[in-house]
This record gives sequence, C-alpha cells and structure tokens, in this order.
Amino acid sequence: MNENENELKVQALVDGELTGAEAEALRERMETDDRLRELHAQLTAVRGLMAGAELPRALPELGDFHWNQISEAIRREERQTKRVARPASGANWLLRWVTPLVGMGCILLLFTSLSRHNEPPDLGIRLVSDHELELSADEIDVMTFNTGDDNISIVWLDISIDLRPDSLQLWLD
Amino acid sequence: MPEEPAHSSAEEPQLVEWAKAGDMQAFEELVSRHRDRIYVRAYSIMRNEDLAVDLSQNAWVKAWQRLDQFHGEASFPTWLSRIVTNLCLDELRRQKRARMDSIEAMEESTGPVENRLEMETVDPVEGLSREELRERIDAALAKLSDKHRTVVVLYEFEQLEYREIAEKMGTSIGTVMSRLFYARKRLAILLKETLKRDGLIE
Repeated sequence: MNENENELKVQALVDGELTGAEAEALRERMETDDRLRELHAQLTAVRGLMAGAELPRALPELGDFHWNQISEAIRREERQTKRVARPASGANWLLRWVTPLVGMGCILLLFTSLSRHNEPPDLGIRLVSDHELELSADEIDVMTFNTGDDNISIVWLDISIDLRPDSLQLWLD
Repeated sequence: MPEEPAHSSAEEPQLVEWAKAGDMQAFEELVSRHRDRIYVRAYSIMRNEDLAVDLSQNAWVKAWQRLDQFHGEASFPTWLSRIVTNLCLDELRRQKRARMDSIEAMEESTGPVENRLEMETVDPVEGLSREELRERIDAALAKLSDKHRTVVVLYEFEQLEYREIAEKMGTSIGTVMSRLFYARKRLAILLKETLKRDGLIE
C-alpha cells in the first residue's frame, strides 16, 4: 500500500468512513507509525475547526422582493405547464378541428364554382360562312365546331353523356 | 385555508401540509423561515452573490413543484438544502463546460496537486471568537478551486457521505477522498498563514 493510500485511509478513519477490520488494522499500525498518528491528529483538528464553520449570511435582497420573484416564477411555470398539458375544451376542439375543415370546404367550393362557370376557351376563331357550328338535339350536352380552312373539328362533350359508339360516329361524320 | 396569523405561528410540518394543498401563504412562510439558510448554502458553493440569489430562488420554485415528493424522511430545510445543492452542482457543471478547470490542467501536466502539499497543524486559537474564526475559514474556502470547495461544503456543511458526494459530483469515491484530503491540507495552510499574519500565532 503506498503512502497516499495510507493518508486517505487515515482521513477515512477520522471521518468515520473506515470501519470494521480495516479500521482496526489501521489503528494498530498508527500505534507504531508516528507520521500516520500525527496526520490523524492534524485531520481531527481541521475537522473540529470546520464543524459548524459555515458563515451565516443574510439574503442580500428584501424578503418581500425575494418572495415576489419566487411567486412570480411559480405562476409563470404553472401557466406554461397548463398551456402544454391542458386538454382541449369544447371551444378549443371547435377551433382546432372545425376551422381547418371549414377552410378546406371553402377551397373546394371555390374550385367547384370555378369549374361550373368554366366556359370553353376563346380560340379567337370567327364564325364565317365556310364554318359550321352544330349543336346536338338537346343543345346542351354536346357542341361541335368545324372549320373548313384548317380541317379541324372540335367537339365538346359533357362527361355525363352516354357515349355510344354509333352516336359518336354520327357526330364525327 | 387558515387565517393569516395562523401561518406565522404554525409548526413547520403543518405549513408543509398546507403548502402541499396549494396554500401559497404557507409556502411564503416557509420561504421566510429558511431563505437565508438556502442562500448561504448556495453562496458557500458558488461564492457569487447574484448567482447564489438566483439559484436559491430557483430552488424554492423547484421545491414548490416537488412538494408532493417530500415525505419527511429528512427535515424540510435539509430537503431544501439538497435541492439548492443540486442546482449549484448543475451550474458548476455548466460553467466547467465553458472553461478549462485550472486544477485539471495542472493534473494533466504534473500529476495530482493533492500529492504536493504537506499537512499543517492548526490549533484552535485562544482570544479568537468563533465568529472571527468562521470569517477566516470562509476567506480560506473562497481561495479553493470550485471542486475542492464543493467537496468540503458537501462533506462538512451538507453532511453527506463520501458515496453520496461521489454520486452528486459524478465521480469516484477515491476522487472525493483525494479532493477532500487536498482541500483540508490547503485550508490548514491558508488558516495558518492568516493567523500568523494577524499575529495570533508564531
């Protein structure tokens, strides 16, 4: 065992942290070792000086001010905790779920409205004598535009119409 | 809730029970009774007035939040003292991360400083009051490094065992013993110097 370990063991003995056979063996050794015995006395003296030696001090601010700071901090922390942990109340539930749904509904409504009012694009083609515009019998579901100049036929179909091959062939003819 | 005069005359366990039930006035009375003690413990470790005030305030806030964990195994002031001590240790760790600790730097280059001092004998001095001695010990403590002073405060004032100090400081029992031994040697030397300077010893 080296010197440093012995010193630390003497300290442990002074502090009451060395007990049993180990403590007994060290006490026996100290009887014949002046240096360890002296160290034991020195450490015991320092311990005696330190007992209850913490210098009393008064808080360097007024008690009321100190309490105000503490109570303010407590309230602040409680507010934050409540904010994080509070379950959604009825009003909060409405705000959290209904508002986005209403928003999405409005957007859908807007798209629907726009698509209903979506007219066929203006192609800038003027109807003159050699052009022919045909409408189907009910003049609603199908509209055909033919231009002889460009050999183009444009057919607008409503998707709700029943596209039977024979009627489609009729229009294309 | 009790009337206000009841708070100032109430026994501490009663105040704790009221505070646990949410009575802020009871807690205020507890703060009033123990604020100096909690501040002193914070100051002993940190040696900085502003930090000690802040940490003792934080300790009271934590105490309020954890009142339901206090079951009276230790006294209420001892329980509070543990809270403020833990906050101080956290603060020291935070500070340590921000700067190089001088003692550790020395250990890395030349071996532990604990081995390089001789123990001094300091006898209690006649004619020196307990208060005067306390002031000299306080001045000597202020000259120790954070980690050596902390071990002394935790052992001598907070009255923790080696094992508890090691756990709190995140180190081994051997390191605690070594730091405590060095700190005591330094304290003995510093006290002897100041007593000699004041002509109280030869």
